[in-house]
Amino acid sequence: MKNISEEVFKKIKKENIKPKSYRYFATKNYFIWFLFGISIILGSFAFSMILFMFRQLDWDIYHYLGDSFLKTVFISLPYLWLIFLILFLGVAYYNFIHTKRGYRFRFITILVTSLIISTLLGTALYFNGFSENLENVFFQKIPYYNKLIYTCENQWMQPSKGLLAGTIMEAGISKNSFSLMDFNNQHWEVNIDNTIWKGKLKTSKGLKIKLMGKMEDETHFTAIEIRPWKGQKKFTQ
Amino acid sequence: MVVTIKECIDKTDEQLVLLTLKNQEYYLCLMKRYESELLNYIMKISNGNKQDAEDILQETFIKAYQNLNDFNLSLKFSNWIFRITHNATISAFRKKKIYSQAISWEEKDLDSILQSTLDVENTNIQKLSYEHVLEIINRLPLKYKEILILKFIEDKDYRAISDILHKPMGTIATLLNRAKKAIIRELKKEGIDL
Repeated sequence: MKNISEEVFKKIKKENIKPKSYRYFATKNYFIWFLFGISIILGSFAFSMILFMFRQLDWDIYHYLGDSFLKTVFISLPYLWLIFLILFLGVAYYNFIHTKRGYRFRFITILVTSLIISTLLGTALYFNGFSENLENVFFQKIPYYNKLIYTCENQWMQPSKGLLAGTIMEAGISKNSFSLMDFNNQHWEVNIDNTIWKGKLKTSKGLKIKLMGKMEDETHFTAIEIRPWKGQKKFTQ
Repeated sequence: MVVTIKECIDKTDEQLVLLTLKNQEYYLCLMKRYESELLNYIMKISNGNKQDAEDILQETFIKAYQNLNDFNLSLKFSNWIFRITHNATISAFRKKKIYSQAISWEEKDLDSILQSTLDVENTNIQKLSYEHVLEIINRLPLKYKEILILKFIEDKDYRAISDILHKPMGTIATLLNRAKKAIIRELKKEGIDL
């Protein structure tokens, strides 16, 4: 029988083979943990954006559009950020199982733990206003970003379905109307004869509002309910 | 300083790893400890070609030596070296694209698997020839074969198999269960009444 151990030992000596340094493996291990951490953080960014998207939408108006709640949810899902969240969770999982003992944990355990961490961090980021700022940056810097997501603007800029949003340009055209410029820069004359005002609002120039009602023609809208426009710095600044 | 086998006898694998990192002569002791065990393991999960198995073992020992600083002393060295051997074997056979088709088994190894899987008192099973059982086991996917080898022939526990195959213990238990069911299914396909 061939003496493999002796042969290998001779080869090690002859070719002066040395063990790789401890530092090499430690660095590699730290790098994997670093990538895992980064993935979790990026996942939390994605989650904070999902939360932001959901919170900025009005969930009590789906019946007004004649849609089911499920259809509204389906239309409103922030797919872009959901894809990013799944992607970052995948990268986090991949890195975790490549840590020294990562293989000992089940797929579902790693996934759920990563998701919980990203969720908690993401929620904290959302309440710190991070997601709103991030969205503003994306709106300004990323071309076509607004086409990729369903925003509050998309939800309310449906005049034919009785939803409108914009800025009051001129109050007191007459006692029961004002002039409004919507987010597509179109002018409307809004009739407020029988309007319910939600929130402590006064008809004043420059006020951003959401309107529920009926589109009379291309430039006239009758408001049934008016709400303040909350959040969305890109419109209020 | 030349190290004799005598000097290694009372030392654990983990102690020998630490000593090897200071003096490479100790590595010979580690290799000698595992040479035959690993060679058998390679031959069982490969196609049984001894020459190929020896080449893989050489590669394994060199790789293990180069990665010695990556060995975590809180784990068992045997699991670690089995892991490297397993990877090297799978990698070698993938490169050659000749996945294991025939495994060299001893009769007692096959008995060991059957005993653990089935009722050995079953007379229908006892009538089965060695070749017939081997053929059935060879039909199993590699993921089942390797787990059967580690559990019933190498006599590794779930933790050790988990460390060698880099899978969670729950997955190991599931795979083992599926491997047993696969053997039973194959036997039933052959018309053997269980």
